[in-house]
Amino acid sequence: MSKNPVWRESIVVFFVEGHGYQVYFYLLAILAPVQFLSLYVPSLDAQRWSGSASLFKVCAITLLLLVVYFSLRVANQEFASWRFKPLKHWLREQGHGAALVGQAQLAFLAAHVALSLLLCAPLLVWAGAISRTPLERVGATFLLLLFYGMIYGVWGLAALALWERRTENRQVFIRCLFVGLVILSALFYLPINPVAFLLAYLGRQELSPLALFGLGWPAPWVHFTFHLLFGSAGYALHRSGLRREARL
Amino acid sequence: MSFSAARAALTYSALAHFSARFPPYNRRYLQSCRTARCIAAALPMVCFIGLWFAAADAAIDIEPRVGFRGVFQLGRPFPLEIELRNSGRPAEGVLDVQVWKRDTTRGGAPFAVNYRREVFLQAQARKTVQLTVDPDFISRPLAITFSSSSPAARAMKEVDLRRHFAPAPLLLLLSENNLLAPLASLAAAPQSRLIAISPGELAADPRALLGVSHVILYDQSMRDLSRAQLTALDIWLTAGGKMVIIGSLNFALYQDPSLSRYLPVRVTGTRRITFRPHPGEDGRSVALAGVLAQEAKVLNGKALTEADGIPVLVEASRGRGRIVYFALDIGRPPLSQWDGLAKYMKTLLMPVVFEEVSPRSEWNDAVFAQLVASPTFISTYLPFGSLFFAMLIYLTGVAIIPWLGHQRKWALRTIVIGLLLFITVGTVGGYLHFNRGGSIPDALLMSSTVLESSGDGYVEAQANLALFSTQARPYDLRLERGWMELTPVSNRVRENQEPAVIRQDGGGASRYHLPLREWDYQLFRMRLMDRFPLHLEFEARGDTLSMKVNNQSNKDLFDCWLLMPGQRFDLGQIARGARWSRNFPLTLATGQVETGMTRAESVNFRDLGFADKTRDILFHSSFFPRDGVARWPSGVAVFFGWVKQPEPRVRIDDPRIENQDYALFRAIVPLMQGEDE
Repeated sequence: MSKNPVWRESIVVFFVEGHGYQVYFYLLAILAPVQFLSLYVPSLDAQRWSGSASLFKVCAITLLLLVVYFSLRVANQEFASWRFKPLKHWLREQGHGAALVGQAQLAFLAAHVALSLLLCAPLLVWAGAISRTPLERVGATFLLLLFYGMIYGVWGLAALALWERRTENRQVFIRCLFVGLVILSALFYLPINPVAFLLAYLGRQELSPLALFGLGWPAPWVHFTFHLLFGSAGYALHRSGLRREARL
Repeated sequence: MSFSAARAALTYSALAHFSARFPPYNRRYLQSCRTARCIAAALPMVCFIGLWFAAADAAIDIEPRVGFRGVFQLGRPFPLEIELRNSGRPAEGVLDVQVWKRDTTRGGAPFAVNYRREVFLQAQARKTVQLTVDPDFISRPLAITFSSSSPAARAMKEVDLRRHFAPAPLLLLLSENNLLAPLASLAAAPQSRLIAISPGELAADPRALLGVSHVILYDQSMRDLSRAQLTALDIWLTAGGKMVIIGSLNFALYQDPSLSRYLPVRVTGTRRITFRPHPGEDGRSVALAGVLAQEAKVLNGKALTEADGIPVLVEASRGRGRIVYFALDIGRPPLSQWDGLAKYMKTLLMPVVFEEVSPRSEWNDAVFAQLVASPTFISTYLPFGSLFFAMLIYLTGVAIIPWLGHQRKWALRTIVIGLLLFITVGTVGGYLHFNRGGSIPDALLMSSTVLESSGDGYVEAQANLALFSTQARPYDLRLERGWMELTPVSNRVRENQEPAVIRQDGGGASRYHLPLREWDYQLFRMRLMDRFPLHLEFEARGDTLSMKVNNQSNKDLFDCWLLMPGQRFDLGQIARGARWSRNFPLTLATGQVETGMTRAESVNFRDLGFADKTRDILFHSSFFPRDGVARWPSGVAVFFGWVKQPEPRVRIDDPRIENQDYALFRAIVPLMQGEDE
C-alpha cells in the first residue's frame, strides 16, 4: 500500500502537510468538554443515577456521531479538497486501475477511522473507568465504532466517485444521508439505529425483534444485516463510480 | 501365594546377618517394616469405619417454636427458636428463614427476606438457634431451610403462621409462682394476651419484644437472665415497654441488684397493712386488712397510691417506657382471695397508649436526589480535579508531539510511534487511576439521624440511611446493638432483585447483606433507642420561657436554635459539660427576628440556612420539610442543634467505604399557654 500513489497523496495532504489535523482537533475539542461537563449534569433518574453512571454512554454516543460524520466528510474529501488530484488524473492520465484507486481510498478511510478512535481512546477509556463499565463492553464499543465509521464512511467514497465534480451535491447528499438515516431508522425500527443499538448494548437492554413474514428476527441480527447490506451497497456504488470514471 | 517357614527363617537369618554388619541402619529398617505391616493390617478396619460413617450421613430434623409459647403479635417482630437435630455425621451448613415483607412504596408488593445463620452441628447432637423474624404476610408460610454441601444434610420445613398470631400486644408474666389465677381473665382477652414464661424463654433480642406491651414480674429472680436478655429488656423498656413489678413476701429478691435496678423504690422489708383501693363503679369503698406489702422508699418515681405510710403504687419513666411498682403481694391471702383483684389488676395492665409521636423525617428518592447532586456530596465520589488535569495533559501532549515533529523534522513514523506510546501510557494509566486508584470510594454510606429527646437522658433515634455504590459489589451493613427497625425505602424497580439477607449472630448483632450494582443506591429507615444525656428543661412563666440546659453527653452541639411561634433564637454552641439557663420572651420584641407569623401560629423553619449544603438539604428536605409546615402543631417550641462527630448507626467494615454521619438533636416543647390553645 505504501507504493500506492493515491494512498501516499492522502497521507501527505492529511499528515505531512497537516491539512487533516483540524479533523482530529474538532473531534477532541468536542468530545473532551462533553465528557467533562456531563459529570456536572447529575440527575437522579427514576431507574438509575445518570451522572457519572452514564458518562461512558454519553461519550460513546458523542464519539459515534463524530466518527460517522467526520468519516463521511473525510471520505468525501471535504477537507483540503483543492490538494487532492481528481480521479480523472489517476484513472485516465496516470492509467491506474479503478481497483487500485478504490483500495487506496478505502484504506485511507480505515486509517482515518482508526486514528480517530486511537486519539479518543484515552478519553473513552477513562469515561469507562469512571462509570465502572466492564472492559469487554469498552472493547466492544470500540469495535462497533470502527464498524459504523467504515460502513457509513463508504458512502462518502461512493458520493465522491459518483459526483466528483459536483462538490455541493456531494456535501448535501452525505449530510442528508447521515441525518435521514438516523431519523428514519429511529422512526421505523429503532434497533436499526446505531445510537439506539449502542445505548441498548451498554445498558444491557434487550431490543425488540423485528416481526417480518410471520417470523421474529432478532434485533442484533437485523441490525448487523442491515448495516452490512448498507455498507455493501455503498461499496458497490463506489466501485461502479470509479469504473465509470475510468471508462469515460 | 504360599508361605515357607524355612524360607522365612533363611530370610530372617540373612537379615540378622545383614543387621549385624550394619546394625543401626537395619534395625531402623526392620522397625519401619513392622510399622508398615501394622498399618496394613489396620487399614481395612479404618476403611470399614469410614464407610460406616459415610453410610450414616447427616440427617437433619427441624423443630421450630414460634413466638412466646406459640403466640406473637401480628405485624410485629417475634422470636423464632429453631431446634436442629442431627442424627448422623457432623454437618456444617446455613440455616435460612424466609419471610415475606410488604413493600409499602410499591403498592404492597411482596418481597422475600432471608434471615440467615451459619450453623455447625456435631454428630448425633442438637442445637437451638434463636432468630427474630418480622414477616408482613402470614398467609404465606414461613420457610425454614438448612442447606449444606452434602445433599443428605439438607432439610426444610414450612410453618403456617396463621395458627400463632394474636391481634393485640402480648403480656409476659415472669413468675416463679403460679400467678395466673388473678390474671386469668387477661390470658385470652381480645385487647391483650397474657403468657407465662420462664426467664430462659425471654428473648435476647430487643426487637423480639416489640410485640410485647407489658412484662410482669412477680416473685421472680432476675439473676438467671443472661446479659443479652437484660440488655434486650432495657432497650425494650426505653423504647416504650411497660414493666409491672409486683411485690411479694420474698423481699430479698427485690433487693438483688439484678431486679432492684428496675425498681423506682428501695425495698427494705415487708409488713401487713390495710389497703383501700379506689371505690368501684357502685361507689362502695373496700378496706382490705392484713394485706402483705413491701416496705419501700421511693427513689426516682412518683408514688401514685400510698397506704399506711407505704408507697403502694409507684410509677417511673425510663426513656419512652414506664416502670410500675405495686408493693402488695397479690399471690398470697388475703389479697389473692379478694374478688376485685382481677379488675384492679386490669387497671394496672391497661394497654399502653403511646404519646403522640413527633413528625417523622422525610426520606425518599427525591431527598436523596438533592443530596447526591449537592457539591459537597458529589466531590466525594467524582474525580473532577484529576479528570480535568488528565484531559489537560493529554490534549497538550497530543498537540505537542506532532508540532515538535514538524519543528524538528521528525519522520512521520517517529511521530506516529511517539503518539502511540503517549496514547497507550495515557490510556492504561488513566484507566488504572480512575477505576481503582485515586480517592473514589467504593460506596458512600450516609446516615442522617434525628435524636428525639425522650427524657431521662434517652433519645429515640430516627436514622435515615443511604448506601450509594460506585462499584458492583455486595455490602454487609453491621447494625449497632439496640436497633429496633430497619426498613428499606425506595420506589425504584430493580431487575433481578435478589432477596435481602439478614445475618443474625447469637449475641443479637445483625448484618444486612445487600448486593448493589454500580451507581446504584438503597435507602433505609432505622429506629433505635440510645443514651444521650442532654437534659433540657423548659418552663413557661407568663410571657417568658425559661430554658435550662445541662449537656452531660460526650458530644458538642453546634448551630443550636430555639424556635418559637413568630420568633427564633440562635443559641450557638452547647459544648459537652455546658450548663446554663436562659429566659426567652414569648412575645415579639423590637430587634428580634420577625418571621411574620403570630404567636399562635406554628414555628417557621423556612428562613434558616446552613453553610454546609448537605446539612441545609437535610434540614429543609428531610428533618423539617418545607412542605410539611402544616404537620407542626401550633403552640410548640422547637429546640435543635447539630451533633458534632455523631456516632455511626450502621457500619461497613471496609476502608473503601466512606461514611458521612449527620445527627440533629431535637426537642419539641408544648408551650401550654391558655391563650395559645
